[in-house]
Amino acid sequence: MFRKLYSWFDSRTGIQASLEEALYENIPGGAKWRYVSGSMLVFAFMTQLITGLFLWMHYSPGSQNAWASVYYITFEMEGGNLLRGIHHVMAQAMVCLLPIHLLQVVIEKAYTKPREFNWWLGLVLMKITLALGLTGYLLPWDQQGYWATKVATELAALPPLIGGLTQKLIVGGSDYGHFTLTRFFALHAGVLPGLLIGFLVLHLAMFRKHGITAHSSPHRPDQLFWPMQVLKDGIACALLFAVVVFAAIAEPVELGPPAEPTEAFGAARPEWYFLFLFQMLKYFDGSLGFNTELVGAIVLPVVLIGFMFAMPLIARKKFGHHLNVTVIVMIISAVVYLTWEAKQEDNYYLNHPDDTQSEAYKRSKRFHEEVGRSEKEFELIQQLVKDYGIPLEGPTALQQRDPLTMGLRLFRRQCASCHAYSHDEYAIAGPPNPDARHDSPLNYGAPDLAHFGSVKWIQGLLSNDAVTGIRSERYFGKTLHVSGEMAEHVHETMWASAETAADRQTLATQIEQVAWALSAEAQLPYLDYAANQEKIEAGIAHLNDDTLGCIGCHNYGDNEDGYVIDLNGYASAEWITKMISEPTQTGFYDGGSDNDRMPSFHTAATKLLTPREIELLVRFLREDRSLIDD
Amino acid sequence: MNEAKPEQHDSETNLPHETNERRGFLGSAAGITAAVLGGLLGVGPLAIGLYATVMDPLRKKTTPQKVAGGAVGAKEGFYFVAQLGELDSHVPRRFTIMADKIDAWNFMKDQPIGSVYMRMQGEQVECFHTTCPHAGCAVSYELESQAYQCPCHNSSFNVDGSKLEGGRSSNPSPRGLDALEVYVQGTSVFVKYEDYFTGRHAKIAK
Repeated sequence: MFRKLYSWFDSRTGIQASLEEALYENIPGGAKWRYVSGSMLVFAFMTQLITGLFLWMHYSPGSQNAWASVYYITFEMEGGNLLRGIHHVMAQAMVCLLPIHLLQVVIEKAYTKPREFNWWLGLVLMKITLALGLTGYLLPWDQQGYWATKVATELAALPPLIGGLTQKLIVGGSDYGHFTLTRFFALHAGVLPGLLIGFLVLHLAMFRKHGITAHSSPHRPDQLFWPMQVLKDGIACALLFAVVVFAAIAEPVELGPPAEPTEAFGAARPEWYFLFLFQMLKYFDGSLGFNTELVGAIVLPVVLIGFMFAMPLIARKKFGHHLNVTVIVMIISAVVYLTWEAKQEDNYYLNHPDDTQSEAYKRSKRFHEEVGRSEKEFELIQQLVKDYGIPLEGPTALQQRDPLTMGLRLFRRQCASCHAYSHDEYAIAGPPNPDARHDSPLNYGAPDLAHFGSVKWIQGLLSNDAVTGIRSERYFGKTLHVSGEMAEHVHETMWASAETAADRQTLATQIEQVAWALSAEAQLPYLDYAANQEKIEAGIAHLNDDTLGCIGCHNYGDNEDGYVIDLNGYASAEWITKMISEPTQTGFYDGGSDNDRMPSFHTAATKLLTPREIELLVRFLREDRSLIDD
Repeated sequence: MNEAKPEQHDSETNLPHETNERRGFLGSAAGITAAVLGGLLGVGPLAIGLYATVMDPLRKKTTPQKVAGGAVGAKEGFYFVAQLGELDSHVPRRFTIMADKIDAWNFMKDQPIGSVYMRMQGEQVECFHTTCPHAGCAVSYELESQAYQCPCHNSSFNVDGSKLEGGRSSNPSPRGLDALEVYVQGTSVFVKYEDYFTGRHAKIAK
């Protein structure tokens, strides 16, 4: 019955002949394990086609949607992480298999006459595969892909005359945007795979025309492709797939924080298999007086590829094949070395923990800090997405409203040149002070603002402890105030007059109560004021009775004779807003005579921060995580 | 193979018996016409695609339409960036330039379109593009080394924008940071913001 059906089917389709044609290829010397690399590459590409098509079903190019859709695939779609993980790891596997396949061909002399065209087709396939890697890196539209690809497209502008035009065509305009994504996606999912399939068909057709580059040997009889070689290929591909799936599960594919064109990512690196090109650029420093970057980025790679294209012709000369093998081995060694060197430079700080003063150490440390900052930003956006979902305007619109994400960015940019922020989870280092002289304009320093306005912070301000008190670097240590009235009062009056241990205990208690009273003015969201009402009331009484000698300089309640730092509403949102906007105004550093170096961030004359940015910073400092309205 | 056994083949596939029509690919006027036509059929859609889609950005002006915030520069191509009082005379500060922007089919108000570093040098405002002239990463000013550092290929620059030489690692940038033309009107600082080609010795606007 089945046989009859098959014969009917075959007579109308010719399937039997086609199968025989495809499977009964003679392999001189029999099936071998080392012939599997080509089949593995085909299998890897098929995996990419299939996983890619499914990724396509949920991917949306465009500045607002790309990151959001990849986030959805990776974190919200069941099995999505594995799907994207397989695509991601298999791409790298393909790049690893390529040089193996290529080396085999070179060593077996399979690139020489009459197989020149197949060698050339193989080189074209290699270029297409690498182009797929490059274009795919941008599609998630995260900081890493965005900034790394930006360098690649900058390099496209290097060739004189046509450079600018080329860049514009690739990027889809003069700046990154929708068109960059739609173009890269069309290339990645349409043009390049289409070309790859076309060239692969030709590559395979050529391969079948010339057969395997092997000779029959008396010891090992010839075999047909089916079944032994197919079995070997199948086992190798199954193993490859297993390894790839394992890797994709063991190390789930990552996504960085969404691309932000004005937040430069200081740890942008290309995919590891392009690191050698990245590293090579460092060597072309223009010291020869002409444009050597062009040499490193374009001319040298083109020359090397050109050499590879010429290899079948070179092999016809005497010693040509040896020359080819030598050059190929040199190229591969150089690629491995440069990749290793790039990794070494980025990890210098981990491998040489004692060499703290060297440039290499500082660079590497900055690199790791940036990586850490990026990971933190991703954690934050992930939480925001869980809490609020991604708005139509895209993930960055959500970040723009988050006091923590924006507060960290703004603090780094505008405050960290003087203030440190030694928060347990979100620490920002203060100024490095390269010049220790206090009158040096480079010696910036100001109080540490982590938990500003909290009981603990105020207690520290009123302490004479050398490490944590008012004259320490945490408070006034690096400011003019270190020798000012406030520090003098804390040291010389408050603590100096507490002579016995009992006195000091009393003073400490009073300070704690005053700190609670002042912090109650702030009403910080992370402190429990209701449970400490007694301390607050005691503190208010101390302030009104001027137990600690605050009144006179500071305003509090009915006492309005103060001239510096109003304690009413201390560290409240309104108070901090005024302080940041114009610290020289009445109620702060009156007229500016007591102001050390705190700039005005928003006045009629200076607008270093917009009101919106100040609102974000204020919430950040108060650890108020509610989003601001638009 | 086909040529050798035409009869047998024809009977199987019902091809016309005039096998002499196959004598050459372009052996007849019909052959030439068919080849040309076939070629054109492929080129047509390709040409219109290349023209309409691929070359579209070359015909579009993607430069921002107007300067945001109502502070329009007195000179063509200048953007309002800051007030004089915001500049420090020692440490360069980074400023973001805001303007309305068009990205393909979207119009967006008040978007950051780029950033610059500025500081006062005596009476003069010194202004640098934040893009590294080497390969287009963004430099940042480091207080510790008092220099601009690029995070990508180790380029670094003195506070005056010139290339930092003499370090132990190489400095691949072909030129110093790109200074931008500044125009002060009253207390407002306007900057002629434009991008330059990276990786070239000469500073050429894109």
